[in-house]
Amino acid sequence: MTCPAPENLLLHALGVPGPRAHRAVADHVATCSACRAEVARLREAAVLLRAGAARSGDATPDCLDEEAIAASVDGVLEGDARAVATTHLFSCARCRSAVASVARLARDPAVAAASETDRASARWGLRRPGLGVAVAAAAAVVLLLAWPGVIDRRSEPHRGPPGGGNGVPRPISPVGPVAGARALQWSAVPGADRYRVTLFDGQGRVLWETQSGDTTAALPDSATPSPRLPYFWKVAARVGVERWVGSELTEFTVVGVGSPP
Amino acid sequence: MEPWIASLEAGDPEAAWDRLLERYRRLIFAAIRHYTTDPDDVMDVFARVCEALRADDLGRLRRWASQSAHRARFSTWLVTVVRHLTIDWFRHCDGRPRLAAAAAGLPPTQRRIFEYVFMAGRSHVEAYELLRTRDGIDLPFGAFLHELSATYRAAAGATNHRGRLVVELGGAEPVHGPDPPDADSVMQAEQAVVLADALAALAPHERLAVQLFVIEEMPAAEVARAAGLPNPKAVYNRVYRALARMRARLERAGIKDGDL
Repeated sequence: MTCPAPENLLLHALGVPGPRAHRAVADHVATCSACRAEVARLREAAVLLRAGAARSGDATPDCLDEEAIAASVDGVLEGDARAVATTHLFSCARCRSAVASVARLARDPAVAAASETDRASARWGLRRPGLGVAVAAAAAVVLLLAWPGVIDRRSEPHRGPPGGGNGVPRPISPVGPVAGARALQWSAVPGADRYRVTLFDGQGRVLWETQSGDTTAALPDSATPSPRLPYFWKVAARVGVERWVGSELTEFTVVGVGSPP
Repeated sequence: MEPWIASLEAGDPEAAWDRLLERYRRLIFAAIRHYTTDPDDVMDVFARVCEALRADDLGRLRRWASQSAHRARFSTWLVTVVRHLTIDWFRHCDGRPRLAAAAAGLPPTQRRIFEYVFMAGRSHVEAYELLRTRDGIDLPFGAFLHELSATYRAAAGATNHRGRLVVELGGAEPVHGPDPPDADSVMQAEQAVVLADALAALAPHERLAVQLFVIEEMPAAEVARAAGLPNPKAVYNRVYRALARMRARLERAGIKDGDL
């Protein structure tokens, strides 16, 4: 009976799929007391190593920057840069954890696929038709969420959760591709005494905002949507003193009568 | 040259930003969704990523663009930035209350373990010591490991689609294998500390290989790339040799196999 190579015992002990048939190693270990003892020792050592492993500490001036971490994952560090990074990794749990984490991330199939697509685009200068609209939409959402100057969240100190339940206003029209948009309409919220609607362009800029006691608001000429450009709007209902509940951000595009959605 | 860099160098940061998003939006979203698929979380983190990249007039991107030579691919650098911002958002920013809410449904001991390990970034041994000294929960170390494993499983479930994030915040799970050691055969925390000392005594490249392969659970091929070793077999060999030396050192310290 030939015992497995040490590396295969190691992989078996750590539960890592190895280059050789894992099953055969497991079968051998089950019948070989020497290998079983060796596997037990390896596994126990791993348990204790992980238990005692430092997780993260505060960053120090010597910590690897984001590019050095990325380069470690890519395996492209050379010469002095390699030596500096490796020496630091010996002693810094924070940076080791970051390298392992980015490696896991880069191995994610969705991330790898997106990265490959990006590289292909870079090589051949591809531009996908219609992507500009999607990008503008994404940028709008980003702006809406990220910049207080675009949406003054201080005016919504007790904003309730968005959603489509009875307690939250729901945009009714326009939503998605529409033939035209002359007014905004939304569902009523029981107990609400006022609604505030806000219209944004595709870059996230506020085009128009008004308040109403009704569940519809006519768009002024100054805020008439242009065809084939993305717009966003949201509505919040006042349900108490300084308490507003807001809708999800809703996108629409005026495509014109007879145009494909 | 990347189109966004060309726009940046032409003095048009807004166009640079648009081009960057056009090309890398999918990658950014994919990286965020690695950690959470909750739509609200994804959009909030995406907003945070964009805010950080746009800060200081695209300062981070300008620093990248200004370098004459790059050590890493831009896409790897970008996911590194996204990863950093995502973890930071969950641990320190708006996502922190969401983690706390996820922990609220756990049994008391597991909730404390969750707080120490996942939210405070404590090691497992540190969490064990804090449970005993601060919370007065007197568990044998083996029983603690059982609770720790249960916390990982419960936390991954309680955080819905954030299982990877939980592992990210808490580090590697306790080792699981086909025939795990009897945790109640007492592995004391002090022994883990002795083992850590033994690790520190290894040659630097062996230590790094052990740290990345055993503790961080990286595949051997990735360890080889990160540590500058020629191939995965070199990693296996170093780790095996290192563990053997560590055991020998432990035995010299009076800790025999049976004690472990």
